[in-house]
Amino acid sequence: MRATTEQDRSPSPLFPVSATTTYRRPKATVDPDTSKSWWKRFIPIVATRRVPFIAALVFSGISLVLQVLIPNLLNQAIDRSIVTPSVPLSHYVTEIIWIAVAAGIVGYLSRWLLFRTAYDFEYDVRNLLFEHMSLLSFSFYDRAQTGQLISRANSDIRSIQLYTTFAPMILVQCAVAVVAFGFMLSISVPLALIAMATMPVLFWIGVRMRKVMFPISWVIQARLADVATTVDESINGVRVIKSFAREGRQVNTLADASEKVAWSYTKDADIRARYTPAIQNLPQISLVLVLIFGGIMVINGHLGIGAILAFNAYLVILQAPFMMLGMLVMMGQRAAASADRIFEILDVEADITDRPGAVDLVVTEGTAAFSGVRFAYGDGPDVLHDFTINIAEGETLALVGRTGSGKSTAAKLLMRFYDPTEGSVSIDGHHLRDVTVASVRNQVGIVLDEPFLFSATIAENIAYGQPDASREAVIAAATAANAAEFIDKLPQGYDTVVGERGYTLSGGQRQRIAIARTLLVNPPILILDDATSAIDVQVEQSIHEALHELLDKRTTLIIAHRLSTIALADRVALLRDGTVVAIGTHESLMASNDEYRSVLAAIESPVEESI
Amino acid sequence: MGWGGGGGFWGGGGGFGGTRPAGMPFGGIPSELQEGVDAILKEEPPSAPYDMAFTMEPDAAERQRLTLWKLLTQHPRLLAWCTILVIIVATTSQVGPALIEYAINHGMLPGHHSVRVIIVAAAAYLVVTIISALGQRSQVRASGRLASAVMHELRIRVFRHLQRLSLSFFTEEKAGVIMTRMTSDIENLQQLLQDGLNQFALQGLTMVVITIILFFMNPLLAAITVAMVVPPLFAASWWFHRASERGYERVRNGIAGVLTHLSESLQGIRVVSAHNRQIHNAIEHRNVVGEYRDANVYTGQVNAIYGPGSQLIGFLVQALLLAIGGSMVLHHHLSVGALVAYFLYVNRFFQPIQLLVQQYNALQQSQSSIVKLRTLLETQPEVVDIPDAPALAPINGEIRFDHVDFGYRPDRLVLHDVSFSIAPGETIALVGPTGGGKSTIAKLITRFYDPTYGTISIDGHDLRKVEQLSLRRQLGVVPQEPFLFAGTIRDNLTFPRDDISEDELNLAIDRVGLREMIDRLPDGVDTAVHERGQSLSTGERQLLALGRAFLANPRVLVLDEATSSLDLQSEGAVERALDAILEQRTAILIAHRLSTAQRADRIMVVQGGRITEEGSHEALMAEEGRYADLFNTWQQTGESPASSLDADLSNETR
Repeated sequence: MRATTEQDRSPSPLFPVSATTTYRRPKATVDPDTSKSWWKRFIPIVATRRVPFIAALVFSGISLVLQVLIPNLLNQAIDRSIVTPSVPLSHYVTEIIWIAVAAGIVGYLSRWLLFRTAYDFEYDVRNLLFEHMSLLSFSFYDRAQTGQLISRANSDIRSIQLYTTFAPMILVQCAVAVVAFGFMLSISVPLALIAMATMPVLFWIGVRMRKVMFPISWVIQARLADVATTVDESINGVRVIKSFAREGRQVNTLADASEKVAWSYTKDADIRARYTPAIQNLPQISLVLVLIFGGIMVINGHLGIGAILAFNAYLVILQAPFMMLGMLVMMGQRAAASADRIFEILDVEADITDRPGAVDLVVTEGTAAFSGVRFAYGDGPDVLHDFTINIAEGETLALVGRTGSGKSTAAKLLMRFYDPTEGSVSIDGHHLRDVTVASVRNQVGIVLDEPFLFSATIAENIAYGQPDASREAVIAAATAANAAEFIDKLPQGYDTVVGERGYTLSGGQRQRIAIARTLLVNPPILILDDATSAIDVQVEQSIHEALHELLDKRTTLIIAHRLSTIALADRVALLRDGTVVAIGTHESLMASNDEYRSVLAAIESPVEESI
Repeated sequence: MGWGGGGGFWGGGGGFGGTRPAGMPFGGIPSELQEGVDAILKEEPPSAPYDMAFTMEPDAAERQRLTLWKLLTQHPRLLAWCTILVIIVATTSQVGPALIEYAINHGMLPGHHSVRVIIVAAAAYLVVTIISALGQRSQVRASGRLASAVMHELRIRVFRHLQRLSLSFFTEEKAGVIMTRMTSDIENLQQLLQDGLNQFALQGLTMVVITIILFFMNPLLAAITVAMVVPPLFAASWWFHRASERGYERVRNGIAGVLTHLSESLQGIRVVSAHNRQIHNAIEHRNVVGEYRDANVYTGQVNAIYGPGSQLIGFLVQALLLAIGGSMVLHHHLSVGALVAYFLYVNRFFQPIQLLVQQYNALQQSQSSIVKLRTLLETQPEVVDIPDAPALAPINGEIRFDHVDFGYRPDRLVLHDVSFSIAPGETIALVGPTGGGKSTIAKLITRFYDPTYGTISIDGHDLRKVEQLSLRRQLGVVPQEPFLFAGTIRDNLTFPRDDISEDELNLAIDRVGLREMIDRLPDGVDTAVHERGQSLSTGERQLLALGRAFLANPRVLVLDEATSSLDLQSEGAVERALDAILEQRTAILIAHRLSTAQRADRIMVVQGGRITEEGSHEALMAEEGRYADLFNTWQQTGESPASSLDADLSNETR
């Protein structure tokens, strides 16, 4: 979180930026003191907007007080201008109009300011969380599930935002309820107490109702999700269902799931049937009480008829906070739980960071060395141990080994996605721990085995590492990766949107875009994680042709999953259980090493390293 | 981290539900709700398995045109009961102010003091309130039951129809669209039936009742009041409705943009880090979040105008009522009680108008859902049984293609004049490039499509003339992408038939070579398969699919590259599995590996929609044609020729 408190870092060539800053950066971050309660930790963010926030509270107070005045004016008007005319009616009428207009304007201002503050708050929290997450290390992503993270960043922030919007509003309303109650007391103390009698019950029912309504809506959603699962299976598994003629089974499965939905909706109706009539009619009961006791008081001359009208209006005003207090309690619980989940992320510290005084790595020769490296993911078993390899300037080295032998892990250490537990990884003799993280990643390029493309145009995907690259540079990289040909055939060429929300490319095509993406950056050191998925042999050959030239000029580490890729390498290192067992040319290993031969025979194993 | 609570229980969609209130599920139960959810689940009745008959022919009820009215009248008694209750609630809930008027005029005004009148009026008020509350209670229960019953039936009806549609429908229609029909479209109707229509009727009726009461008290003042309240409030509500509709559209788009950017940045975190894109992405994120915030501020502004604005209308009306009504009282054209009642009633006009405008939107949405569902229900399957098609008697498995032409679209043929026959018990391998027509031949045998020209027959029966379910019950297909259903391993293996015994299951497990894998699983064969078996390797899933086909015990088996992902190291296991499964059946193997193809009695090379070579492995090798080429390359490199055979699988698999 420290990094986010400073202003946008000065543009550094290591951090390519070409996006236009339309929206400002959050001015403050959460309180780092984990011992404080959740809402206190958010105070610094709210504090950056204290003026509109306080103004909103003051205005809503004023507007509600103005509203409270009106029923009292009506009460007085009826008693003093109509039942026993002593004041001209027009006096009250104009007064009500003025107060109404004022209440409208102030009410608008208060709500608008309050919404603005709340949405600005949400904006800040979302961005803080995003920035924080994008700075976290891989050890975090190994533990967290992306889906969970997304939902936290969404629902949890939302539920806090809702609370921050409504809590002040409800609290102001409660304050006004006190004022309204004061007015009622000023009209008649006993009648005010009688009228209020049902309010605690209303509050209690409101709390009870929220308590059961939230869970039932969850159950409904879960049951609906079950239906969706069955439907989804019937769409994606249609060939299996049809080929075994099991449509009937699916229908029964769905009917079963659907019946549960029906049950949960009925249950939901029953719960609502229990609470809604009570909540809606309790204020009526108050009115009945006001009618009896107020009526008797009118007869006895202790009360004016207008009071009955005023009490009715006040009961409406009072009703809202009592009903909503229940909601506030519930929302507060939810917001607290949500905040805990968000802080769980915000309080994680990145473990791959720049050492104080770290300098930028500038690759001159391009040698890479692992010496005596030991590494484990988290508390897991060692994935690499006693791992030593030297890669010479301009050399292409292939790592070969069975699944789980540590090939991909070694590559990740060279990118400094992780730091070794023991030993060191160095480039040109500089330990990676001693140089800035960004400079390592800037000088070492990686092509991942499962190429991830973003929902953006092909050009933007290729230029991912250099967003301001010219179209010529993009086309050159695509050509080098043998991707230009198929890109030209796409509907919008380089401007075709791909990724999750766009055009679907085949595995081989994605792979080539990923290669182009790395080639565009032109890193002096390259890591190639060979695609495990099938690529057309011809395509593969043409990629390799392109790579051959490129590999000649730079130091390359290849994680090889197939024979044809091994052919690109100058030397091959055979890995077993996280350590190098043999190293040499392909031919010499084929000639001398039985294990190497047997690993090659099995190399197309479909199971790949998952981490 | 890890999962919150339920684990796989909450599997499936969920979605973000832009229009729903916040706090809808996303995957796990928030800890603070766990207790309540558990309590409800305890009450949930255990699932009583359905045993509905299913035929490809829709019955008379299923042929009826879908309309909102027909849906409603499916349960006429419940509907009538709901209507009665709505009328009771609408009238009883509006009696109160009239009683207050009575109490004021006849019990409180100077010269009319009467405690009795007041008590009688209050008692009456209490009674109508109780009646109204009880009415509401019954009405919510009744309409809830009506809605869930109707929707349950509709869901089944639509789904049955989906099951009747042919494969072509599923390949042509986007999965998301089909999903939407079965989920949100039906949900829209659920909301409408459960709440919307009742509200529509109730609020409409309330307005009528209030207007009538007001006219009874004083026609002139009633006319003025209604004219002052209704038009401006309707106009304001209408404006609000449109503006917030626009606003929520923006908010939905905004949050979708935020979530897309977020999820991509997290999923692609390795690429992001490798390219030092963190700052660039942070700015991008600020921009999408900023747009989302602006959308929220816009809707906030709309709300900030409407809330105090409609209140302002209310206050102004009260001021005018005071001026006009007050002077009428002073001139003895109106009683004080009536004026008080007027004030009380005027406030009651607001809620119905606001709700009516809201519900109008729901009504529109569900009308469009009805139209979409109706279109779906009127879609005809491409492959249909002829009237009174006979069931196919148990077959021997002789397959014959007789001059078959076929194209997924009539203008683009995929198969040209294909003729061949397969003897009962024979194993045929189809090899050739992707797009050559191998899979199409397989799909025609199972009658997922009908040939454009020519005939396909099994044991001399033209496939078009027999009942399709009876045909497919005797066939088995193992697709390349093994599909697993939610449930246990057992559920997946016993998928083909309901009457599979434990012994049969165990036999299949042993014969197909699943034993080792199943023993390794925590609950053995009863281990739940999560997320379509992503925890299993593709090879393991393929073995399960083979086991499933083994248990189906079909006469004719089609293996569509069903062993492509089996680990080469377990070549022996594959052989055993294949041996077990091919035994005594007619089999069509779409071969991925030439080693598999070699095992067939006969090999057919399919290229460009034609069978170009045909014969045993030895015969084809002697011929030195395409097959011999492929085989030689394969032997030399030691690599699977899969890639040259299957340039781009994504074209053919769904």
